[in-house]
Amino acid sequence: MMDQEINEDSREESSILIWLTGIAFFAAMAAIFLFVPTEKTEGPIQRIMYFHIPSAWLSFFAFFIVFISSILFLWKKEREWDIYAHASAEIGVIFCSLVLITGPIWAKPIWGTWWVWDARLTSTLILWLIYVAYLMLRAQTDPGSMRARYAAVLGVVGFLNIPFIHFSVLWWRTFHPQPKVISSEGFGKGMDPSMLATLGVSLGAFTLLYFLLMGQRIRQEKLRDEIDRLKREKLFSS
Amino acid sequence: MDNFGFLFAANAFVWGGIIYYVYTLKQRNRELEKDLDLLKEAISKESR
Repeated sequence: MMDQEINEDSREESSILIWLTGIAFFAAMAAIFLFVPTEKTEGPIQRIMYFHIPSAWLSFFAFFIVFISSILFLWKKEREWDIYAHASAEIGVIFCSLVLITGPIWAKPIWGTWWVWDARLTSTLILWLIYVAYLMLRAQTDPGSMRARYAAVLGVVGFLNIPFIHFSVLWWRTFHPQPKVISSEGFGKGMDPSMLATLGVSLGAFTLLYFLLMGQRIRQEKLRDEIDRLKREKLFSS
Repeated sequence: MDNFGFLFAANAFVWGGIIYYVYTLKQRNRELEKDLDLLKEAISKESR
């Protein structure tokens, strides 16, 4: 009875989140394709920015949650934190893949090449490889506390790459442009206000999507745990 | 310099990626729920 109530509550919460995310994406699409003016130098292709930056933000945020959850798992040894880290790592990898796909599509007509081995691009590729390795480690090792512990260590170490990615465009001369939103001139000073607003809406939509996907992914891990528990019970009782 | 093809491709990858991921999540959830129901049914039959 209690389980049923919890399920109904979480279903209600997730349907509110689905609606909010849908509305946010609708607003973002309207802003990207109808509201925001076309950039003078690059033309319409610059609109990729409104997907590229939010995808990067979402993946970095997801890896930050992996980092925090992994530290808390190593400290408290609670399965809950391992679930959050695993769920967030998968979402992070998906959106980091989208960054690595949309980036070259944007680069080809602007830089004349799909890829350059500069500091920003290479460090982002390394970040993606680290978290793919994280997921492979989880998939290839037996379930248990050792798997969770190894994964947590990798989850913490992998995140240390993110500050390096952020500052790479400032420390080295790169093809990749320098930050426009948080720049040395101040917050949003390097951008047109309408572009900044559109980017803000898109960032909000992607953030809501993260929480929606996390809810689904956490639920999945909990279902898997419940199945394992019942299987063990069944084995011992027979 | 229009490059609408590139803009379309980037959009298609982002939306395609998100929709495919949401679809696989739903599929996995459905399979797990089915497994859980079967297991619960088997356990309740055994205990009778």
